Amino acid sequence: MLVQTLEIFLIAISAGVFGSMLGLGGGIIIVPVLTLLFNVPMQTAVAASTVSIIATSTGAAVAFLRDRLTNTRVAIWLEMGTSTGALSGALIAGYLDQRFLYILFGLLLTYSGYNMFKTRKNELPEGVVPDRLSQKLQLQGSYTDRQLGKKIDYQVTGTIPGLIVMYFSGIAAGLLGIGAGIFKVPAMDQIMRIPFKASTATSNFMIGVTAASGAVVYFARGDVKPMIAGPVVLGVLLGAILGAKLMVRLKSSTIRKLFIPIIIYTAFEMIYRGLK
Amino acid sequence: MTTHGSEPHIPSPHEPIELTLARLLRIGSFIAAVLIAAGIGTMLLGKETAATRLITAGLLALLATPIMRVIAAGLIFVREKDWRFACFCLVVICSLAAGIYLGQTHG
Repeated sequence: MLVQTLEIFLIAISAGVFGSMLGLGGGIIIVPVLTLLFNVPMQTAVAASTVSIIATSTGAAVAFLRDRLTNTRVAIWLEMGTSTGALSGALIAGYLDQRFLYILFGLLLTYSGYNMFKTRKNELPEGVVPDRLSQKLQLQGSYTDRQLGKKIDYQVTGTIPGLIVMYFSGIAAGLLGIGAGIFKVPAMDQIMRIPFKASTATSNFMIGVTAASGAVVYFARGDVKPMIAGPVVLGVLLGAILGAKLMVRLKSSTIRKLFIPIIIYTAFEMIYRGLK
Repeated sequence: MTTHGSEPHIPSPHEPIELTLARLLRIGSFIAAVLIAAGIGTMLLGKETAATRLITAGLLALLATPIMRVIAAGLIFVREKDWRFACFCLVVICSLAAGIYLGQTHG
């Protein structure tokens, strides 16, 4: 029991480090580890993973907010899409063929993985012209990049398309219980042309809110088992604090290179689930 | 400063929203971490019921943090008279509440 708690705790730390750096929830690590290595039932693993998304988000956001890497205005604008999307997902669950959705979202991720690969050498987006809505809502941002040692001012575009993609990412989260950050980061990076570090930090900020509504439901159903979720959350929280400190010192292009294999893996896994 | 053409920006008398939210998230995660760590410690002493309660309290504190964060952001926008973003926060809060309600009754 004690050894198991310690092992879960240590794995959770690494999940927190990676999740916080990449703007992801870390479910990609937590769920398979708990089910395959520790024989935890799927429902318990998913519930623990959902609560741990909040830990990743909350733990890392403190450092990201202080460095101004998180764009709070963009986050709140896009949260309208993710939260209404998650609600729609919950409402239409049961009316839609999940296999079809898995394939659809899998193909979407393959495409954004390919785009990300093409731009893998770009450190910062260039020549971004803000659209009118972005100017009206004052979505532009600036942060001090510790790695490059200078202040980065950036503009935001694709305000409406970004919101629409977030709505669908919310549906994916509500229906399939996946996609905490895997859809959000590419949408901000490729559609809204936000610097990669600011994209992952802003995604990190947003995923806690989406996960919270799911976590409340898991709690009410009694799927959150304190003896499993406790060590996971504590480890992830610690990992996220460390990961955020590490991330602000990395180059955007390095973080992007870490993201590419994960997006490709998730894309293939989803297509596989849809076809199987 | 009489520079023309720069965007009109009235400095806020309050601290930036990022710092307020950062403080809120830090307090939330600190309370959660302390409760969960205390719970795991109690478990090692063999008091399982107390341990479960402490950990559950910690998990609930963590769960409440992002929801508080949206509410706090909404209140800050109201204070700044940024009605548009205050409305955006309201949309998020309403869909969260509806999602929780639906999930509990239909889930």
